[in-house]
Amino acid sequence: MYSAAYRLTRNPSDAEDLVQETFLRAYRAFHQFEPGTNLKAWLYRILTNTFINSYRKRQREPQTVSDEEIADWYLYSKMNEAGLEPSAENSVIESLPDEEVQEALSSLPEQFRIAVLLADVEGFSYKQIAEITDVPIGTVMSRLHRGRKALQKRLWDVVRERGLVRD
Amino acid sequence: MWFGSVDLSEISCTEVLEEIELYIDGELESDRAAHLAEHLRTCSPCMRHAEFQAKLKDIVRTKCRSETPEHLMVRIRVMLRRQDPRPE
Repeated sequence: MYSAAYRLTRNPSDAEDLVQETFLRAYRAFHQFEPGTNLKAWLYRILTNTFINSYRKRQREPQTVSDEEIADWYLYSKMNEAGLEPSAENSVIESLPDEEVQEALSSLPEQFRIAVLLADVEGFSYKQIAEITDVPIGTVMSRLHRGRKALQKRLWDVVRERGLVRD
Repeated sequence: MWFGSVDLSEISCTEVLEEIELYIDGELESDRAAHLAEHLRTCSPCMRHAEFQAKLKDIVRTKCRSETPEHLMVRIRVMLRRQDPRPE
């Protein structure tokens, strides 16, 4: 949960406060938890709501980028255009420093960041993400697709800046 | 081509790419997932693409985890101990 809080708040001190507040709210509202439902999803629902209601206001939201001009499979296409051998593209992304990948995720607009975080980092299903974020599954799929596209664009910028492939 | 009761033919690379995200996320119905898996097994460009997208998902997962600081766990335990009993 700390990882998720860190990716959301983008600083360790706020992340700690967010986790602590989430546990406090969960403790006080535990009588509302329905046994047999997913406890982790319930906690993450409290986490995201607490973040949206309390922490987001303090933060400068990353500039919204139009993702319409980002092609699908952006990173893979760019790697191919750079003439990488099969499987070499996997080694390139493996070599990206953790901090750069974290920064790329943290830089996504909030709705996209939350969707990618819940699906790819925390491993929730689309249905669970829909329940956690209180939106229809179609919206989850759309945010996830657009978030991943934007993430691929940012990771490509990192790959290029670090000279990991010839542009 | 039939596999058990599932027809594994008639799926194009375009269709595979349209559904590859759902496939990697484990969100496809099992019959449909079997179709895609069979296509991937026999189509190396699609397989290469799928492997890359799966790798990327895995990299985001592994590289975006941060260790929970020990002092935070202590802080939360202390906080919860100080709470009144939960409301009924």
